[in-house]
Amino acid sequence: MTTEEQVEAQASSGWLRVALGVVAFLFTVVAGIAAFGQFGGGTVDPNTGADATAANSFALVLAVAMLVGMTVTLVLERIQTGHFGSLSRQFTLRVIVLMPIAIAINIVLGQTVAAALKIPIYLDSIGTILVGVLAGPIAGAVTGALGNILWAYVIPPPFQYPPAAAFAVVAAVIGIAAGLAGRYGLMRPRTNRSTGQLVIAGVLVALIIIGLAWLASVGYGLIFDTDINPLPTTDSELFLVLGYIALLLVVAAVLGVFALLFGRRDLTAAYAVVTGVATGIVAALISAPIAAGVFGGVTGAGTDFLVAAFRQAGVDIYAATTGQGLISDPIDKATTFVIVYLITVAMAVRLKARFPQGEYLIEDTDAEVPAPERTG
Amino acid sequence: MLTLDGVTYRYAGSRRPSLTDISLTLGPGEVVGLLGPNEAGKSTTCLVAAGLAPRAVGGSLTGRAEVDGRRLADVPPGEMAGLVGIGFASAGLSGVCSTVYEEVAFGPMNLGLPRAEVMRRTEEALETVAAGHLAERDPEHLSGGQRQLIALAGVLAMQPAHLVLDEPTAMLDPSGTRLVGAAIAALAAGGASILVAEQKTDLLADICTRAVVLAEGRVVLEGSAESVLTDPVLETIGVDPPTRVRLARLATTAGLDPERLAVPA
Amino acid sequence: MAATVTAVNATLLGGVVGPVGLTLFAVLLPAALAGVLPRLLRVGLILALPLAISVFVVNLFFYPSGSTVLFRIGPITATAEGLAFAIETLVRLLAITGALALFYLTTPIGSLVVDLERRGVSPRLAFVVSASVRTVPAILERAGQIADAQRARGLDTEGSPWRRVRGLVPLVGPVLLGSIGDVEDRAMALEARGFSRPGRRSLLWAPGDRTAERVARWLLALSVPVLIVAGFAGWLP
Repeated sequence: MTTEEQVEAQASSGWLRVALGVVAFLFTVVAGIAAFGQFGGGTVDPNTGADATAANSFALVLAVAMLVGMTVTLVLERIQTGHFGSLSRQFTLRVIVLMPIAIAINIVLGQTVAAALKIPIYLDSIGTILVGVLAGPIAGAVTGALGNILWAYVIPPPFQYPPAAAFAVVAAVIGIAAGLAGRYGLMRPRTNRSTGQLVIAGVLVALIIIGLAWLASVGYGLIFDTDINPLPTTDSELFLVLGYIALLLVVAAVLGVFALLFGRRDLTAAYAVVTGVATGIVAALISAPIAAGVFGGVTGAGTDFLVAAFRQAGVDIYAATTGQGLISDPIDKATTFVIVYLITVAMAVRLKARFPQGEYLIEDTDAEVPAPERTG
Repeated sequence: MLTLDGVTYRYAGSRRPSLTDISLTLGPGEVVGLLGPNEAGKSTTCLVAAGLAPRAVGGSLTGRAEVDGRRLADVPPGEMAGLVGIGFASAGLSGVCSTVYEEVAFGPMNLGLPRAEVMRRTEEALETVAAGHLAERDPEHLSGGQRQLIALAGVLAMQPAHLVLDEPTAMLDPSGTRLVGAAIAALAAGGASILVAEQKTDLLADICTRAVVLAEGRVVLEGSAESVLTDPVLETIGVDPPTRVRLARLATTAGLDPERLAVPA
Repeated sequence: MAATVTAVNATLLGGVVGPVGLTLFAVLLPAALAGVLPRLLRVGLILALPLAISVFVVNLFFYPSGSTVLFRIGPITATAEGLAFAIETLVRLLAITGALALFYLTTPIGSLVVDLERRGVSPRLAFVVSASVRTVPAILERAGQIADAQRARGLDTEGSPWRRVRGLVPLVGPVLLGSIGDVEDRAMALEARGFSRPGRRSLLWAPGDRTAERVARWLLALSVPVLIVAGFAGWLP
């Protein structure tokens, strides 16, 4: 076959692989649902009829299904082409060199920020998302999972953080999400857009953030059987404070988004924020059951007291960790995605381009785009 | 035999080429010096000769670049390292070895040589740079000069047939520089072909058989080491000629006969 | 060496399932045998302390289904159920951190990586593991250098915690970008040393593998599924 024909053949068989991978994914989801027995296992909250445990189990099923789907795709690729093309494409020498740096960044930032400062943001996925965006979903997943495992077992104290190992799955999923975001050009700079477009983007993101916050307050209100708002109509002081904090966060977030958009006149800031929020929600749903089941909700991070507060209000451990997660994770991941976006923007074209997914990070207006490394 | 013929190279994203129409040959046993002011393209030439440009750094190359009759671009990357070794200006440590011994052994290990051979080459390389006493130290905690010697040892241990060295004595004191010079001379005597880019023209005067002068990406002068190093063009482009050449010129200007000064060559 | 890794895994799962006192056995005894008991206790304590405090406080006071009140501090009540749960989680936690500390103290990372590579793990993966461990202190050192440089230019980093946090912010950018900029150089250096060559590399040395260790490894590995099954079957408390 000529090279062109080879590429053609690869592309079509590629679609087949992905399709089968998706099938495997769906199959696992169905199997998971069946195995859990219609999610009747957890305690049903009498107030909302919602089953927090069920939601968490479902998220877990999704995560496992995703991994299964990817494994199937890879196996098929091996059978079809004789090697792991997508793997080796994603693991060039440059990527191999970047990964330890990314892992180290995860650990250093995660340990200082989360463990020491005790604020409910982790910032321990910067490296994972960076590798995902630059190299691809599998590379991102490996960075995340391996990073967590090393963080827990291998890194010497004082940087060792044993709980990290349990969350390796979460880190892997985050890596996959980042890889997909990069692959579909979500992190590509989009400068030189009209002010009108920037304003529209800002408003849209603001609406999304406000919408989510409102949903959250409604949701929490239902679960805790009270209203979360800053108005002094609620009795519980806890929720009064929470209401104010939430309002502040929303305002800060909206202002932040606009600042980013106009500071750099780059539409991608909005994409980064939204991607981050979405990833955060997914991450929260997957990590909550782990935090609850394995650690009883306490992981030594700054978020523990938030969990405690929820539990004092009377919900069970799974709902508490989910509640905490849905607050911290979207913020954390949105911030991280923005940071990664800023990093990739600051990297010279020469540096970026040699990474497997570097081309998706370069605006079309740039002069010359060097080809990425081959599998060397 | 390393050949560059009419090579023009442009870095990715750069409008002007860094090298224009460079031609250079390296035969066995030859030590060729590469001179030129900063930004003349010495480092770029080294990268091209070692097969790292454009393969590892991107960019585009036109012209012929071959080693032993094969195009550099056709040699698989893993094999390249054993064929043409390169020493970088700013160290070039692997970053994963916890002792100097492992660091130097890194190259031979990657080549898949039997263990006894790896050890033999490592010890030989360490002795050549007189760093045996550093064997158990952590490479990250060495001084700049020590690191440069160790990086050099790492390349020497691979015993490539061709060697490209980019300012191998940048961080070394005079005794270290002499050491490196002796090592290069010994290698050439053993049949290796060596390209040395340097600012220290005294060193080049001692070890090179031929020399090439670059300025702004082009070859401006080439020939035997003696003829190149005494050529007055050097100063006009910003390269200091060797000390004895300068002394001789000063003497002549002062009206003295340089021969009678008996300055050691 | 590898035996210790399995020990960690076993303890982890064993802890999740339940019999906690037993797992302490598996940690303290080998530690004493290896002669690292005092260091183990010290390291383990450092590791576990922040976590332990959180766990204890949170569970003691905030355990929702607690009814037997022990004492009150203002609006917060401590319950007996909370105490029981807290103790149980605490012991589990100590077991896990103990095992991890044991692993760290007895297995130099170098020999672990070499062992893995000898058993067929790709040299690239081994590289990532070794390099990660070495890069953590390297990043800190770089941060320190940049902080010094910034301090020399008048950046104020002492004083109140708020000031120190603010002092950290201009640090993050250069550290991150500097570390990432290294990638190019390091990749070239590795390339120049033949790292891209496919196939196995030769290894300088390999840690020995005594029969006793192998036996211990298999026992520990088997204990994991056994415990899981036992847990499901309801044999464990």
